[in-house]
Amino acid sequence: MSQEIDETLLKGIIRDVLNEVQGAEKPISFGGGSTATKAPSTQQADQVHPVDWFKHVGVAKPGTSKDEVVIAVGPAFAEIMTQTIVKLSHKDVLRQIIAGIEEEGLKARVIKVYRTSDVSFMSAEADKLSGSGIAVAIQSKGTTIIHQKDQDPLNNLELFPQAPVLTLDTYRAIGKNAAQYAKGMSPNPVPTVNDQMSRPTYQALAALMHIKETKQVVVGKPADQIEVNFN
Amino acid sequence: MSEVDDLVAKIMSQLKTDGNGGSSTATATTNSSSSDPDLTAKDFPLFKNHPEMIKSPGGKPVKDITFQDIVDNKIDSKELRIAPSTLRLQGKLAAEAGRTQIQKNFQRAAELTGVPDDRVLEMYGALRPFRSSKQDLLNISEELKTKYNAPICANWFKEAAENYEKHKKLKGDN
Amino acid sequence: MKRQKRFEKLEKRPVHLDGFVQEWDDEGLVAMHSKNDPEPSIKIENGEITELDGKQKADFDLIDQYIAEYGINIDNAEKANAMDSNEIAKMLIDPNVPRTEVVKVTTALTPMKASDVINKLNFGEMIQAVQKMRPRRTPFTQAHVTNTLDNPVEIAADAAEAALRGFPELETTTAVARYAPLNAISIMVGSQSGRPGVITQCSVEEAVELGLGMRGFTAYAETISVYGTDKVFTDGDDTPWSKGFLASCYASRGLKMRFSSGSGSEVLMGYTEGKSMLYLESRCIYITKASGVQGLQNGSVSCIGIPGAVPSGIREVLGENLMCMMMDLECASSNDQTFSHSDIRRTARMLGQFIAGTDYISSGYAAEENSDNTFAGSNMDVLDYDDYETMERDLCVNGSILPITEDQSIKIRNKGAKAIQAVFDGLGLPAITDEEVEAATYGSTSDDMPKRDMTGDIKAAQDLMDRGVTVSDVIRALASHGFDDVAQAVFKLAQQKICGDYLQTSAIFDKDWNCISAINDNNDYMGPGTGYRLWEDKDQWNKIKNIPWALDPQKVEF
Repeated sequence: MSQEIDETLLKGIIRDVLNEVQGAEKPISFGGGSTATKAPSTQQADQVHPVDWFKHVGVAKPGTSKDEVVIAVGPAFAEIMTQTIVKLSHKDVLRQIIAGIEEEGLKARVIKVYRTSDVSFMSAEADKLSGSGIAVAIQSKGTTIIHQKDQDPLNNLELFPQAPVLTLDTYRAIGKNAAQYAKGMSPNPVPTVNDQMSRPTYQALAALMHIKETKQVVVGKPADQIEVNFN
Repeated sequence: MSEVDDLVAKIMSQLKTDGNGGSSTATATTNSSSSDPDLTAKDFPLFKNHPEMIKSPGGKPVKDITFQDIVDNKIDSKELRIAPSTLRLQGKLAAEAGRTQIQKNFQRAAELTGVPDDRVLEMYGALRPFRSSKQDLLNISEELKTKYNAPICANWFKEAAENYEKHKKLKGDN
Repeated sequence: MKRQKRFEKLEKRPVHLDGFVQEWDDEGLVAMHSKNDPEPSIKIENGEITELDGKQKADFDLIDQYIAEYGINIDNAEKANAMDSNEIAKMLIDPNVPRTEVVKVTTALTPMKASDVINKLNFGEMIQAVQKMRPRRTPFTQAHVTNTLDNPVEIAADAAEAALRGFPELETTTAVARYAPLNAISIMVGSQSGRPGVITQCSVEEAVELGLGMRGFTAYAETISVYGTDKVFTDGDDTPWSKGFLASCYASRGLKMRFSSGSGSEVLMGYTEGKSMLYLESRCIYITKASGVQGLQNGSVSCIGIPGAVPSGIREVLGENLMCMMMDLECASSNDQTFSHSDIRRTARMLGQFIAGTDYISSGYAAEENSDNTFAGSNMDVLDYDDYETMERDLCVNGSILPITEDQSIKIRNKGAKAIQAVFDGLGLPAITDEEVEAATYGSTSDDMPKRDMTGDIKAAQDLMDRGVTVSDVIRALASHGFDDVAQAVFKLAQQKICGDYLQTSAIFDKDWNCISAINDNNDYMGPGTGYRLWEDKDQWNKIKNIPWALDPQKVEF
C-alpha cells in the first residue's frame, strides 16, 4: 500500500474548512457552554451536492424481512465527500459491500444516518432498523463496523478501525460476512492487514475528514432511506 | 463518612480481639468501645503486615484459604473476593496518605460487594447515556438503598437522575 | 521548477511520511493554549463551587458539575488558585519543596489553572518535575501482548518472555472481540509462567472487560476511557457518573483499575468546543481524580498522531503526564502507539518519560513485533529491545526492561506455551498441539504459527463463558497437568484480590508477591542524594549493565 499522504485531498479539505470559517460573519462562540451552542452550526457545514446514484426516498423505517442487512453511511457520505481516506470512491465501496451481501443471497438496504458521525453509534441505530438485526456502518473516511442488535454500541461483531488498509476486496468480504451473520452463521472474521504506520501518516487527515463529517450531524434527525443505482 | 470508617475499624479491631469470624455486615450495628487500629503507611501492605484483618466475604481469614482448597474444589470462587470491611481498611490507608477521593470510591465499592455480578453490570448499563428514564434511575437508587443497604450508591443514582434530566442524557434525549 | 538536490534528498527521509498540520484553534488543533480556552477562576459559596474556569454554576456542563462536586480539594482551593502560576511551576521543580507539599497546592487548582501552570514549563523543566512528582519512587513500564490472529499459544509465549524481561504489567486486546476470554486467560497463564507477580488485563468493551475481571481472568483494567467534552464523552457511551460507578464496580471486585484519556481524542471525535488539547486533557485528569480512581493512562495514547502533528505537541504530551502526577495519580505515560516513521523522532517522543522515569514509562511497549500489535502498533517493539536496553545502560536510567539471553528466552517461551496447552486441555478448549508449542517457542510473529480454526476457538470462548468457568478452574487445570508453580502463582494472584493492597496508588508486585505502591515506596525525591537512583538499585543495575552483547574485556582473545 502506498504510504504517501494524499496531499491534494488534505489541502482541499483544509482549504474548504478554512474558507467556511473565514466566510462566517462572526467568530464562533464557544463560551456559552450551554448544550445549544454545542450542536454543530449549520452555517459552518458544507453544501450538500446531491448525486443521482444516491437518492433519498424518505425516512428509513424498521424492516421486518429477516433476509436484509442494513448498511448505514455517515452524514457526509457521497454528498459532501466522495472518497475514503485512501481515495476509494464511495460509490465503489458501497457497490462492493452490497455485492458481498447479495452473493450470500440476502438483500441490502442503505440508510444515511444524521444523529451521529460515530461509527459505533451509526451501527447501533442501523441494526435496530435491520430486519435481521445485523448492520454494517461506514464513515466517509472508510472506517467500518459490523454490529448486531443486542450488543452494546461500542461492542461489535467485527470492527475495521484502520480505514487506510481497507481495500475494495475487504469491503466485499465485510458485506459477505455481515450476510452470513444475518443467516445465523459464524464466519471466519475478515482478515485485515495491520499497518502500524498508518497512524503517523493518516491520523491528522482522519481528524480533518471526521470534523467535516461531524459538521453534518443533525441532532434528533432520523435516518433517510437511500436508493442506490450503480448503472 | 469518616464515622462509618471509624466504626468499621472499631469492629475490625474487635473481631481481631474476639477471633470472631462473622461477616462485617452482620456486626455493623454493634457498638464497640475498642480502639481503632491506627492504620498508617507502615501497616501497608496489609497482606504482609496484618493478614489477620483480612477475611473472605464469608468470613474466612485470608490465610485459611489455601491452594489445596482450590485444587480440591472446596472453595466457592465467590470466596476469592474482597470483603467490604477490607475495602474500608484500604480506604482508610488511602485517606491517611491524603487521597480522600480514593477512600470515597472504596466506600461506594464496599457497598457494591453485596450486589450480584449481573445486577451490578445492569446498573452500570443503566447509567450509560440515553439508557434510562429518570424514574428508572430513581428505582435503582431505591433498590440500592433498601435491598442492598447501599446509601452512598443510592445517592449516586439520585444525583445522576437529576443531572441527566438537566443535561439531556435520559432515554429519548438523543 | 528545477529541484534543489539537497531538498530532494531531504524529502525522502522517513520524517516526511508523517502527517503535520498547522494550528487551528476553533477545531481544537492546538496543543497547549487555544484562544478559546477560558481564564482560570473559582468561586466558593457555602462550601460549594459556584464558578469554575469562567463558568457560572447554572452554565456547568456535566463534566464541570462532576469536577466541581468531587474533583477539587476545596479547603485549599481559594488560596491555591490565587497563587501566581509561575510560583506553582517553580514549586514543581524546586528540590527543596517536598512532593507532599506541592500536591497540597496542585490538587486544589482548577483544570484551567493547572493547564496554565504546565504552560509555564519548558521541556527540560517538565522532566525535572516528573522525576519529583511521579507517585511511586521506583519507575516501571508496561507491555502489550497481542497478535493479529489472537493465537493463544503465541500470546502465552510472548507474555512469559515479557514477564521475564521485567514488565510488571501486561495488557492484551483482541483482533476479534469475541476472542476476549481466551486472550485474557492466555496472557495471565503466560505471564505467571514467566515471572510470578505480573498483573494482566484484557482491553475490550467496558462491560465485557469487567465481566472478565469478575471471573478472575484479569487483575486490572486500564482502558476505561474518559473525555474532555460532554459530546465526546457521550459518544464514548458514558457519562462521568457512569464511569465513576464503573470505577467502584471494579474496586468492589478487588480489581485494580486506572482510567485512560489523552490529548487529541476530542479532535478525532469531532467535538473540541475549540479548546486546547491540554485544557481538555486537564478535564479528563480531574474526572479521574473526582472518581477516586488511583491512576490514569494518559499522554495522548492512541491519538498521538494529533498532538504529534501540531507545534509543541510532544511537550504537551509530557505536560499532561506531569499534570496527572500533580493530581497525585498513578501515571501510565503512553509511549504506546506508533508515532513516527522516523527513528530519531520516535526516540525523542519517549525521552521525557524515559529520562525522568514514570510509574509506567510506556503503557505499553510492544512485546511482539509491531506487525502483530493489535493496538495498531506501539512506539517501540521487540525488535527495539536491544536499542532500548543499550540506552538504559548508556544513560544509567531504569527503563524497566532487562536484557535476557536467547537460551533464557527459549526456555521461558516454551514454559508459557506448555502451560497454556495444559489449561486448554483442562478447560476442554480446542486442543493446542505440540507443533504449536514448538512454533511459539522459536517463532517471532503469528506468521510463524500453524493456523488455528478461529471459528472453533470463538465458539469455545462463548461456551466457556456460558459454562461459568472461573480462575479456580484455571488453577485446577494447571495443577492437574503438573504445572504446580504456575498454578500457585495464579492462586496467589487470586489471593491478592481478596486483600486489595494493589488497589492503592501505583501498585505492582515483585516476584515474591510483595506489593509495592506509592504508600510504601513513595517518591521522596528532593534533589541529588535522594529519590530513586539506578546505581543504588544494585540488582537492577547489574542486570542492565550486563547486556549479553558486551565483551568481557578480560576474556577477549586477540
